[in-house]
Amino acid sequence: MTKKDKKSFHQSLAEWKLFLYNPTTGAFLGRTAKSWGLILLFYLVFYGFLAALFTFTMWVMLQTLNDEVPKYRDQISSPGLTVFPKPVTALEYSFSVSEPESYKGYIEDLKKFLTPYASEAQKNLKVCTDGALSEQKGPVYEACQFPLNLLEACSGENDPEFGYSQGHPCILVKMNRGENTTTLLAYPPEGNIDLKYFPYYGKKLHASYLQPLVAVQLNYTASSTPKEVTVECKIVGSKNLKNYDDRDKFLGRVAFKITMRA
Amino acid sequence: MGQKTPRIYSVELNGAKDMKQTDKGDGKDKYRGLQDNCLELRNNQRQEHLTKEIDLDDHKLSNKELETKYHTNIVTGLSSTQAAELLARDGPNALSPPKETPEIIKFLKQMVGGFSILLWAGAILCWIAYGIQYSSDKSSSLDNVYLGTVLALVVILTGIFAYYQEAKSTNIMASFSKMIPQQALVIRDSEKKIIPAEQLVVGDIVEIKGGDQIPADIRLLFAQGCKVDNSSLTGESEPQSRSCEFTHDDPLETKNIGFYSTTCLEGTATGMVINTGDRTIIGQIASLASGVGNEKTPIAIEIKHFVHIVAGVAISIGVLFFIIAVSMKYRVLDSIIFLIGIIVANVPEGLLATVTVTLSLTAKRMAKKNCLVKNLEAVETLGSTSIICSDKTGTLTQNRMTVAHLWFDNQIFMADTSEDQLKQTFDQSSGTWASLSKIIALCNRAEFRPGQERVPIMKRVVVGDASETALLKFSEVVLGDVMEIRKRNHKVAEIPFNSTNKFQLSIHKTDDPIDKRFLMVMKGAPEKVLEKCSTIMVNGQEQPLNNSTAEAFYTAYMELGGLGERVLGFCHLYLPADEFPETYSFDVDAMNFPMSDLCFVGLLSMIDPPRSTVPDAITKCRSAGIKVIMVTGDHPITAKAIAKSVGIISANSETVEDIAKRLNIAVEQVNKQDAKAAVVTGMELKDMSEDQLDEVLTSYPEIVFARTSPQQKLIIVEGCQRQDAVVAVTGDGVNDSPALKKADIGIAMGIAGSDAAKNAADMVLLDDNFASIVTGVEEGRLIFDNLKKTIAYTLTKNIAELCPFLIYIIVGVPLPLGTITILFIDLGTDIVPSIALAYEKAESDIMNRKPRHKKEDRLVNKPLAVYSYLHIGIMQSLGAFLVYFTVYAQEGFRPSTLINLRVEWEKDSVNNLEDSYGQEWTRYQRKYLEWTGYTAFFIGIMVQQIADLIIRKTRRNSIFQQGLFRNKVIWVGIASQIIIALILSYGLGSITALNFTMLRPQYWFVAVPHAILIWVYDEVRKLFIRLYPGSWWDKNMYY
Repeated sequence: MTKKDKKSFHQSLAEWKLFLYNPTTGAFLGRTAKSWGLILLFYLVFYGFLAALFTFTMWVMLQTLNDEVPKYRDQISSPGLTVFPKPVTALEYSFSVSEPESYKGYIEDLKKFLTPYASEAQKNLKVCTDGALSEQKGPVYEACQFPLNLLEACSGENDPEFGYSQGHPCILVKMNRGENTTTLLAYPPEGNIDLKYFPYYGKKLHASYLQPLVAVQLNYTASSTPKEVTVECKIVGSKNLKNYDDRDKFLGRVAFKITMRA
Repeated sequence: MGQKTPRIYSVELNGAKDMKQTDKGDGKDKYRGLQDNCLELRNNQRQEHLTKEIDLDDHKLSNKELETKYHTNIVTGLSSTQAAELLARDGPNALSPPKETPEIIKFLKQMVGGFSILLWAGAILCWIAYGIQYSSDKSSSLDNVYLGTVLALVVILTGIFAYYQEAKSTNIMASFSKMIPQQALVIRDSEKKIIPAEQLVVGDIVEIKGGDQIPADIRLLFAQGCKVDNSSLTGESEPQSRSCEFTHDDPLETKNIGFYSTTCLEGTATGMVINTGDRTIIGQIASLASGVGNEKTPIAIEIKHFVHIVAGVAISIGVLFFIIAVSMKYRVLDSIIFLIGIIVANVPEGLLATVTVTLSLTAKRMAKKNCLVKNLEAVETLGSTSIICSDKTGTLTQNRMTVAHLWFDNQIFMADTSEDQLKQTFDQSSGTWASLSKIIALCNRAEFRPGQERVPIMKRVVVGDASETALLKFSEVVLGDVMEIRKRNHKVAEIPFNSTNKFQLSIHKTDDPIDKRFLMVMKGAPEKVLEKCSTIMVNGQEQPLNNSTAEAFYTAYMELGGLGERVLGFCHLYLPADEFPETYSFDVDAMNFPMSDLCFVGLLSMIDPPRSTVPDAITKCRSAGIKVIMVTGDHPITAKAIAKSVGIISANSETVEDIAKRLNIAVEQVNKQDAKAAVVTGMELKDMSEDQLDEVLTSYPEIVFARTSPQQKLIIVEGCQRQDAVVAVTGDGVNDSPALKKADIGIAMGIAGSDAAKNAADMVLLDDNFASIVTGVEEGRLIFDNLKKTIAYTLTKNIAELCPFLIYIIVGVPLPLGTITILFIDLGTDIVPSIALAYEKAESDIMNRKPRHKKEDRLVNKPLAVYSYLHIGIMQSLGAFLVYFTVYAQEGFRPSTLINLRVEWEKDSVNNLEDSYGQEWTRYQRKYLEWTGYTAFFIGIMVQQIADLIIRKTRRNSIFQQGLFRNKVIWVGIASQIIIALILSYGLGSITALNFTMLRPQYWFVAVPHAILIWVYDEVRKLFIRLYPGSWWDKNMYY
């Protein structure tokens, strides 16, 4: 049996060699140079054609799109809520008041996030009337100012540490941009967002748009024991903005947890 | 000349065979292809066994010695207690069924065979991936666990399905040889009892009579006119007489032994059981045969080859992209998940089940055409058959003697030998014919069973031997009611045929009221009959028999004998009324009547004629490149004559002997190359070496093996297989079973076949007709072609399933097609269409091409894989991607935004991902869009698979030549695709676990232009193949 196997092994080795290069026909990997040439040419032409065809169909498809607004907004008819600073682990903030290193990242994140909201940056924006939708016809779409002082203690203007060092950490809550042309009740002191910030006319037309923010500040009394607080924010006030979905935990709501140690 | 091959034919044929089927219940199929390795070893062993002398000496013992040996009494039999003890010791008198592979092993084989291993690997990788995820993050999603479970379920379910299919085809056989308990008449405790034959033990005294099957090996103690049919054991077709004398040293030859499962044709006998169950001669042979392993069927080899290709592609792409992913700094965990996706995308999960269904559909179709296939894979084997070794009797011939020629008035007349002869058309006006027909009708002891007036003559059951039956039916057709004629011509004396006299004689009162003479009629071996004659009748007149008339007789006799026909002479004599008055009392022992100077009337020859469908079938085989070899136990002359009349030896080909005779030279001087045909006898075969046999098999296209034993059949089969041929062998006897097993496809006769043969065979021919084999071949070839189409269809979409992963890994777009969605294509929308291709009609006459070469014409060849993967597959992927991009773009993510979005897209913590329009998406919103993308891609593939299905209808012809609507099942397939997709998208779109969403209706049509393009492209491909056969295009594009 072994003898037979060996023979077949040699045979297969020889077959492989012959497959790699066959001196009699000059075939390399089972094809002669001419055959390789033909086959490569064929695939060049064939795939070239397919590529051109695909490009063309994609181009046709892109022509069906509107530059300003997406054709459909099936998913984002209701906005999601997001929070800042970005927590390291899923929606859990954890820091120690006495160790600045533990919240340094949060502060930097907040600062970075608020840069476009600086007074200089907002200079050119329109001051809008409160309590009404800022519906516009174009062709130039203007954005409303969102004065940082609306965020009061969390604006970062007075307290560059956003309350973290005192044990009163600020979390900013933002409503996702989207097709939100709906009524919403106003005023930041109660966590309200004014109607004037809506609607949003899309990135291209409404480039300078600033999203309104709501800040949440927790007021812990300093203590040596770690404190854990869970906060949930929801959009309320509009019937057609969903704030509860089984699967989407960010649709019109956001929940986060803050763990703070002294 | 005038060789004697008396055979018992139609006599109670059905009755006897019914009993044959009852002997044992081991009709179950043996699992094929398990023991290939030890085959060679076993072969040698078996050869030894078969040629070994059988160790049995009971035939030499006297009755007394037997009584002592078996502790029994010939008169009183065994006592019940003795019998019970022996039964406990030896076990029941039945052949033990062939060793079955345990059901659990069969089941497990299905679980690990084919692609299952790959899928198991995928499932296990899934679980491992979850394990890694879980160890780093306890709250990680269970998606991978679900996927792993789904993959495992897919394997288990397809495994169960395949197992069920196989069990079902096995059951066909089980029901086929349903066991009716056989009874035996036994003497026990001095009483005659009827007990089930299974309970017989050695020493039992049994009585048998005509029509019984011998219930065990018995030593005859008493016999009266007992004849047995040993053909299933020894291959001898002549009935063997049995007596209680010890006549031969060889137990197989001696007259005082009756063998288990042979049939007692006539007479009665009493015998002592000397062997039971597996220890009987037949049992020994049967157990040897079942020990022979089977070779893998060609289609099993092809499927293995195909699985290797696909698995090879899957593993190499998987590993390649695993490496790419790792080097692109993907996490190992992610890379493992990619690997799983690639495996799932590459493996056509539903295909093997589809192949099974396709094969069983064909098996059903073949069963309708009288080919009962026991082993599904044998369906295709029949199609790739290149040599058929066929029996003669019953397969090529009608299995009944029929009058073929007559000679009277110095002239040979031909009789009609077709199956349903209604009248004979030869010239019947001569006076000689009137006399001859009278002799034929009167000098005959055969009778129709009463109560068959409504049955066509040819189908009536006759009591009598084969020749007499033939003559009776012949005269019934020509003369009308023979029984009535015999009644009118009352028989007064009779000498039945015996082998010493070689004639049969009877004396009748005639129905002529004027002529009071007795008529003596005689038939027998022509030369014996002629000896007794002094005159010959020509044109109704008696003429003296002189040299020239005698010579005419011999010429005719030789001619008819040379046709392989059994010739009988007929003569008569009117006894002079004065010497033999009406009251004369004839004494057959004293022979008080003249036995010379009779008047010779004519000759009549009989043959077992070929079935009328056979010559056609042989021609078909020839054009299909299949060599038909006749293997028979019959005399070479008869064999050759039949071979010539059915076309196995074509009209213009000659054997070496023919050439020698024509040129009048010695056989040795003939140039062997001139001879196209050869008739090889068993004796010659015995002296041949393997090389010599190979030479015979290769150098003659037309071969007849005559006077061969069933054992030699095995040698012939092995010889054919050495030529790399796929060999089909027909057989009916027990001794054929080794050959049937050895053959690539063993074909047992359904009517004449013994159970052992049916067990060993892969296929049972229900009507014993050779022509049915040919229709089977046609179906087998068609299924091979259609399987090609099915596989090509199925492989195509694998690329469209694979590309999403590759693009996802390399370009970083959100995953276009989910793993679960892939399974819904493979096991959902694609199943019915791929089965529908099995109903496709052949593109051209598949019986006009050579059988496929086992090693060259593969089921899945390079052009098939390349065309499916790299042509249609790529086109399909592009079409599906177009749908995918359309959905994303219209929802806000333009293609440019999608690139490299993967990491952000999949981050659970990012709930404000910006799209091309500045809209921000939460994770779940994106996920939902991703599922919509899956659905879109799925619909894209589905729509193009419809085009793929249509183009796969043909491989060479235009679809319009083939007809779009001829195969209605294709349309059922298309409808099923669309309905399943509709249900998945709109019906189950709300069940998010399945990852389907309700897709906007217009997206269903995005891929339609691509589908049309696929069709057009394939039409162009086929057009060029038809226009430029043999060209570069043909070689590379025809699969």
